[in-house]
Amino acid sequence: MANILVVEDERPISDLITMNLKLVGHTYSKAYRGPDVFDMLEHEKPDLILLDVMLPELNGFEVMQRIAPLQIPVILITAKNSLADRIKGFELGADDYIMKPFEILELLARINVVLRRSEKSTSSFICDTVEVRYLERQVLVDQTPVDLTVREFELLEVLIRNRNIALSREKLLELAWGYDFAGESRTVDVHIRQLRKKLGWEDRIKTVFKLGYRLEVQV
Amino acid sequence: MRFWHKILLAVLALFIAALDVSVIMVMKKSWQLNMDSETQRAASEQLLIANNIYENLNSIQTRGTRITPILLASVAQSYSEYYRKQGIHLQLWDNGQRVYPSRAGTPASPDSGTRDPAELLDEQSIQLSSPLPAPYQHLQLVYQRDISGLFAKQQELSRFFVMINWIVGPVLLLLLYLLIRQLTKPLKLLSETSKTIAEGDYSKRVQLRSKDEFGELALNFNRMAEAVEHRVTALSEMAEDKQRMVDNLAHELRTPLTSMQGFAEFLTTANIGEEEQQTAGRYILSETLRLKNLAFKLLDLSVLRHQALTLRKVELTELFQAVEQSEQPKLADAGIKLHLHHTIPQVWGDADLLASYLVNLIENAIHASKPGSTIQLLAYEQNGDAVLEIRDTGAGMTAEQAKRVFEPFYRGDEARSSEHGGAGLGLSFCRQIAEAHKARLSLDSVPGEGTSIRLFLQLHNNCPLIL
Repeated sequence: MANILVVEDERPISDLITMNLKLVGHTYSKAYRGPDVFDMLEHEKPDLILLDVMLPELNGFEVMQRIAPLQIPVILITAKNSLADRIKGFELGADDYIMKPFEILELLARINVVLRRSEKSTSSFICDTVEVRYLERQVLVDQTPVDLTVREFELLEVLIRNRNIALSREKLLELAWGYDFAGESRTVDVHIRQLRKKLGWEDRIKTVFKLGYRLEVQV
Repeated sequence: MRFWHKILLAVLALFIAALDVSVIMVMKKSWQLNMDSETQRAASEQLLIANNIYENLNSIQTRGTRITPILLASVAQSYSEYYRKQGIHLQLWDNGQRVYPSRAGTPASPDSGTRDPAELLDEQSIQLSSPLPAPYQHLQLVYQRDISGLFAKQQELSRFFVMINWIVGPVLLLLLYLLIRQLTKPLKLLSETSKTIAEGDYSKRVQLRSKDEFGELALNFNRMAEAVEHRVTALSEMAEDKQRMVDNLAHELRTPLTSMQGFAEFLTTANIGEEEQQTAGRYILSETLRLKNLAFKLLDLSVLRHQALTLRKVELTELFQAVEQSEQPKLADAGIKLHLHHTIPQVWGDADLLASYLVNLIENAIHASKPGSTIQLLAYEQNGDAVLEIRDTGAGMTAEQAKRVFEPFYRGDEARSSEHGGAGLGLSFCRQIAEAHKARLSLDSVPGEGTSIRLFLQLHNNCPLIL
């Protein structure tokens, strides 16, 4: 989907982020120190940079200043909860700001928002005989358009963007229906059943015991 | 209204009032003296005229002529004509009947020269009347003297006085303005400086070198500003220290928590293979240990802070051996030698705490040193203290780093990466141990040359009474 550069000196967190990025279909590269970023940017230009603020040798803010001319979207990751830091980050042109500890789903959601805003998001997704076109909001099975309701399409998009990750019914409601939707979790089951039937994805959309649903796609 | 306005107006008003009152009083006195002398002169002149008339009448009577009103009038007229040139009018009354000047003799006319002398009794004249000596006591001589010259003189003086007021007023105003501006300059300076300080520039001082009250005020003001600046700086430094500590603690807590939470989520929700499950599990374990270490270190610090210590005799040979034993694997890994040397047999302290003190510092020294170098652990006596010293030839610290190195959570590495060492509590723990021993801790470091940390303990035989 997108090529993301992860700059984080704490190896566990760096691995955590990249393992999840891989899961939902992003490609990535890693840097552990501030100055490494510049070397890597000479070879390839990523679609997005996830940048830790506390880095050895050159901190995240200094890195941002140096790479500003490249116009690459940046999401700052930090353990500091100070307003001054957040303001400084945004002033330097950060697209978003996420604080440790964070939920993986939240990080992925923010990545998607930034990618969509910078139009680096892929416009379609193909799996088996199913093709999903985000911009046209159209779904084709065997090249034949399938009729999906607005809600079903939203749900499908959420499942694809967070594929290989189990999403609880509550989370699905929150992501596909919106925060203020006061629906029942049974609503989700009904829509999932419809999706499975319309796309022939009885095996792809798995029910995860006690958790929810997961769209399983080979990584 | 500004202070100098008030002073200016008050002094001006007071001065003019004082001037005017005194001038008016002087003028009044001089007027009174003039009047007195005029009155006296009039009295003696009147007496002279009365006596002359008396003499005249006497001689007329001795000649046997009867004294008639006509005669009286002619006598009075002769005198009156003589004295009129000197501005003196005379009247002669006989038993309440005026005989000179006679009412019928002169026609009534409006001009003052011929007017009825009785009506000349205005303010600008002195009038006296007295009877002639006996036997003519039925005759009354009225003497009237014109003193308009005196009045004119007085009026001239008044005009002059008003003129002086008009001239002196502005001149005084100008002089007072200059004087007061000059005198209140320090006040303006003080006010401006205090305003600057109130706006937050605490480094501002009043530049005033006079020896009067203003100079004293400026001196005290500067002293106050200094004290305030000192306090404010200390407070903001304290706040900064605290913020830094909170930030660092937050980092130390958030970093392992992020991994733990993230990998636990990953394990439960992600569609992953066995290998990735293993990785996630390993990370959860290692980060849990990291957090556990932090928790226990914080606990140690807090226990040490709240627990009184029982000091005992500590054999240095045993202490050094224990430390060397526990650090041997790490020293070997890093390829660093440890050199032990003590010239005193024992110190006064807590063996376990002193051991963890030394272990902490040696581990720091190992991180700072290059392979092949030597770390020295020394014990010796200096000025009655037992000194434990750890000396390395490693990276050293800048003065700024050396200042903060004992702060909790301080790390030389600003990124606080977990590659080397822990949360930055080691040295702060060492400081706590030193404080528990009531021992002084000193650190000398030169960047690039190495660091030496000394602990000044009691010699065991020095002071066994403190228990």
